[in-house]
Amino acid sequence: MANFRRFRPDDLNKLSKCNLDPFTETYELGFYLQYYAKWPALFQVAEDQHGNIIGYIMGKLESSPDVYRFSEHYLPWHAHITAVTVAPEARRLGIGKLLTEQLEVAADANDAWFVDLFVRVTNHKAITFYKNMGYSVFRVVKDYYGEHSTDPSLSSEDAYDMRKPMKRDVKREHVRDDGEKHEVDPSDVW
Amino acid sequence: MSYRYGRPALKSSVDVQLQTAFSDGNWSTVIRLAAKRAATLKDPYYEAIRMCAESQLDGTAEKCAVLAAVDDLVKTKKTADIDTVELYEWACRDFFAFDVEYADTLGPLRARWAKANPGSPLALQCLQACLDKWDLVSAQQIATSLDKAYANTADRRYMFWNITLTFLLSISPQCTDASRKVYSLLAIRQLERAADLTENSAKLEPTDRGLLTEEEVCLYYRVLHSHGTKEEFVSRLKSPKLGAISQLKEGRKLLFCEGLDALETWGEWELIYNLCREALTLGLEGGTSPFFVCDLQIWRKLASAASKVPDSDSSLGEVQAVLKRYIEMKDTASAMYKKNLSLALLETTFRLPATALNPNHDSTGLSPRVVQIGLFLDQYFERLSAFDDVKGYVAELGFDEVKRLMEDVLPKMLDEDADTARKTVLNALECRLRYLLTTCPQTLSPQPSVVDGPTQDKPFQCRLCTNPASLPCESCLRKLIVDASNAYKQISGDKALLDAIPRLDKDPRLDLALVLGTSLLKLSGLRPRTTDVGHSLWQAVEPGLFLQAVLLLDAQLKETPGDTELRLLLVQLYLLLGCASYAHQLWTPLDVKRTIQDALSPLFFDRISTLSPGLFHGSRPLMEPLRSFYNHNLGDKSPVRIWDAFLAGSYTSILDMTKHDGNLRRSCTLMMALVEDRRAIRCYGGKVDCEIEEHPLTENIDDDTTMVNKTDYGPFPNLESFHGPPIHEYLRLGPGLSNERSHLAFLSEQYLDLLLYKPPKDYKPSKQTEVALRDREYTLETLSRLSSSLTDFLHQPATPSRLTASETTYYTVLSLLSATLLIALSTPRSDAVPKTLSLLTGSIKSAFASLRTDFFSLSTSSTSATKNKSLPGACATFTEMPTLSAIRDTALAIKHSAAFVLACHDKELARDRSGRSGVHRDVLAEMRVLDLTAGKALAEVKGHVLRLKEALGEGGWLDRVLDLVFGGEEEEGDDEVTRAVEEVVGGRGAAEEWAGRVVESWREGVKGWGMVRME
Ligand SMILES: CC(C)(COP(=O)(O)OP(=O)(O)OC[C@H]1O[C@@H](n2cnc3c(N)ncnc32)[C@H](O)[C@@H]1OP(=O)(O)O)[C@@H](O)C(=O)NCCC(=O)NCCS
Repeated sequence: MANFRRFRPDDLNKLSKCNLDPFTETYELGFYLQYYAKWPALFQVAEDQHGNIIGYIMGKLESSPDVYRFSEHYLPWHAHITAVTVAPEARRLGIGKLLTEQLEVAADANDAWFVDLFVRVTNHKAITFYKNMGYSVFRVVKDYYGEHSTDPSLSSEDAYDMRKPMKRDVKREHVRDDGEKHEVDPSDVW
Repeated sequence: MSYRYGRPALKSSVDVQLQTAFSDGNWSTVIRLAAKRAATLKDPYYEAIRMCAESQLDGTAEKCAVLAAVDDLVKTKKTADIDTVELYEWACRDFFAFDVEYADTLGPLRARWAKANPGSPLALQCLQACLDKWDLVSAQQIATSLDKAYANTADRRYMFWNITLTFLLSISPQCTDASRKVYSLLAIRQLERAADLTENSAKLEPTDRGLLTEEEVCLYYRVLHSHGTKEEFVSRLKSPKLGAISQLKEGRKLLFCEGLDALETWGEWELIYNLCREALTLGLEGGTSPFFVCDLQIWRKLASAASKVPDSDSSLGEVQAVLKRYIEMKDTASAMYKKNLSLALLETTFRLPATALNPNHDSTGLSPRVVQIGLFLDQYFERLSAFDDVKGYVAELGFDEVKRLMEDVLPKMLDEDADTARKTVLNALECRLRYLLTTCPQTLSPQPSVVDGPTQDKPFQCRLCTNPASLPCESCLRKLIVDASNAYKQISGDKALLDAIPRLDKDPRLDLALVLGTSLLKLSGLRPRTTDVGHSLWQAVEPGLFLQAVLLLDAQLKETPGDTELRLLLVQLYLLLGCASYAHQLWTPLDVKRTIQDALSPLFFDRISTLSPGLFHGSRPLMEPLRSFYNHNLGDKSPVRIWDAFLAGSYTSILDMTKHDGNLRRSCTLMMALVEDRRAIRCYGGKVDCEIEEHPLTENIDDDTTMVNKTDYGPFPNLESFHGPPIHEYLRLGPGLSNERSHLAFLSEQYLDLLLYKPPKDYKPSKQTEVALRDREYTLETLSRLSSSLTDFLHQPATPSRLTASETTYYTVLSLLSATLLIALSTPRSDAVPKTLSLLTGSIKSAFASLRTDFFSLSTSSTSATKNKSLPGACATFTEMPTLSAIRDTALAIKHSAAFVLACHDKELARDRSGRSGVHRDVLAEMRVLDLTAGKALAEVKGHVLRLKEALGEGGWLDRVLDLVFGGEEEEGDDEVTRAVEEVVGGRGAAEEWAGRVVESWREGVKGWGMVRME
């Protein structure tokens, strides 16, 4: 039922199975293409036998901009998961996990310290998904999301910044056990 | 950094006074000071500053001086310094939106400068600037200079920029035919050299000009595929270092996938077979991670190649052996790969020749194929995708196998005492398979019966139920509806089951509702709407059954509002039903926005202005998001984000982004958006903002452009087998978007632009005669071009199947009109009018007349429903508003054409009192006749809308609709299908609110039509 391969721009015409699901954000064209331009190997898709995209992951490799080098929030060389999504009909088959693992392999190959991502604190499904793969909360970003996903009366929602250390981080210097207690502002992450 | 036009900084050597004036935009001071400095310092840079400042003034001459200066520089082959170039580019920035080509002006200046200063960091900016304007000629030259300057340095990008751009140029329209060959050779030779170096060196250093990264290797193969021979490609794909397998060993899968695709187009089965087998074996033996290439498509390719190679029996045996080894280590695989392996098993079983499978094949039907489907379902029937996974295979089974599967294998899958929820899921799957089988020809007797008479529309016998049948078998559908309804009721009535639903992959009621809905639609007689003239929906289908389907699916949406498939299906059904405003309400929550619009908008917006122009009257412009998507992403000439790909060295991304950008610029959806918008604007007497041909988004579209249709039908539920058309073809208002229809629409809009053009009010040319002659020449040229293009597209072989009947008439009349006008305006008053003219107008009248007759007779003839069920006559046309719209559009086109000729004549008379240059008397008379015909038709349209409005204003509509659905009082409940539907939706009472919404939406649609201008 599924093939794993690198994303190609034509796939943007086949995203409906993933993107019509309300939990999956649809971005501007330039946003997808920026990832495809800069980190094509980190943009992977799963497709079904009809060519529909039933899952994808979009990631990048970077460190914080140099001007922040001496900030306490400076992030060293790492991989970041910008989006991972699996179409409802293809969930719980391990596709999300496989996509994430592929990115982790690339992160190790590129000598990254860790892989990180942001997730809504109410997205329990995704949080469980990440936790089961060895990710843990590193910090809480207050009011990171502009609107609340489930409660329309709230105007914002917090994010967990979750991390998994990679091989390079032998001493596990870039993760912590009590991440839920570390709160930062959106302006501290970039 | 993206190259945008902020005001450039002047050289630091420029004095403060001038700097300040320049940065303040104090142009007259800049001009004065710069002229003074130029005179004293003799530095041409100040001349340039002066000219740029002048270009900021209002006068046309001043504005253009800088262009002349640039032109001069280009022609004299001088190299201007980079600050001057920057200044000029800034001053010329607005010209690039018009006809000034960067490649003829600033591009060459930048290329020249970069060539002279390739080591300067500014040379890189020159490259970026040229790419920003998509001037590939200059960009390629700069890249070549950079490559030379940085040859054998550790930054390999210069070499590959050079090659990539040389290749891009060689396949671009910007390249002259004369140099295409040279660039092609240049690109491929450089890469061949690099490939040879790679193969022949023990180890490559980053400074070597070989192929190191995955992107470099894949670039080579792309270019080879395009410009090389098949033999070269094939032999390289097998080579020790750059071959697909050795690249796989390095963890690189892209080449393997792309290589296989190329081989498949060439039918190189033997190599496909070898590569797939080797790659899969590699996974087993630790050469790659175990499931690296364990994708379904690799198994499929392997199995299909094995069946095509000379020694296919032993190859297929080999495939099974490899598969067996994988299955042995299945336990270590993720669920995903386990499933891929199970599917691979199915696939190989189906690709094996029947003899190999079962030498003593009996007719009990329990073939290995059925066994494999059974085993697969045993594991996966509860999964959401189970049906989709097996449906293709089930549709391939022979009848005996089908029977065995349905009557034996499926029923035995669960024990008597199995969990009820699981049983329910299995039952729903079984219903879906039964539906699937009604679309498979093997369920019918192979020989049609030849008896004459009423049985002829059911010439076969259904082998499942033994009734006379055609495809689909009606009695099977009826029985299925009753059974599915029972299953549905069972769930609804069982509290424990309802509680179990959230734990299931999918609500089984949804599956059942889809089976019920599509069965009802089929039973109603719904078929794909093609070009057959004059069939209204109500004539083609049994309205009661059709409405039952809509009602039932609508009721299901209330239970499962988050289901996209169901929602989309309903959107289409309501559009068919003429309930556009309600369809829009259902469409909106799907939140089709940003990038996915190009592929998904046609599902709602195609033909929408002809169905319900009133929708465009909402608070937010209907097409705004789509328009802004295109403006935003196609505003620049270069593909979005392309420079990022250059900087990152993502060469295949560069090629694919370029291709994607090219496709988006030729998108049928884009043309649809422009045309729908213009049609709606005209409906309400608004003014279109520019002629369609002048629209920035149509800049590169001409008759030779192949328009690209990327409509995504992926999210539709599809219970149909591959033997027949997919469900969306049954649901569309007409054929989908196409190259042909896009062109016809584009040309028609151009024709209307010509007719409706009004010169600006203050336009008073001084040389009247000269201008009049030029106008006339332009008009005749345009008419001749449009007439021949319209005819060409209408006569293309595929066109008839791409249009509805009324669209065919509309475009035909427009092509005839343009030809008519050409003759009308070019025949001198003194000559005899060519016979062709009356032939043309005769054809116009008769085509138009039959369109009108077909439509208006609908409102008088009774529907296919029995008499007391039918709607008031006019209402048979709720569903046919696009035809009404075509009548209006055609009438207006005729009217405007006649008016155009008459106006030309009047203008000529006013200019040349002798009357000799006017339009021929007979032509004028003919135009008046056409005008009259059009006027009459418009009055009919208006009258028809009024009648619809009156009819809808009457009382009793709810009952009317409900009677249609459930039958009148005396009939109620005597038909098993109706009873089955009633029981699912909760009876007539529960359907009232729904009927109200349908009627309200009709009213809203007609209200919108009431405001449409008929002149
Ligand atoms: C989160 C998501 C990507 C998971 O994809 P998936 O392919 O279904 O996940 P997998 O099958 O790979 O799951 C791996 C493991 O994660 C955990 N997991 C995944 N989905 C879970 C769920 N709904 N509940 C509990 N655990 C879950 C399980 O431990 C699972 O292993 P198991 O199935 O063997 O028990 C998918 O649910 C999704 O697309 N959600 C919407 C978009 C989204 O929220 N993205 C994340 C934003 S940061």
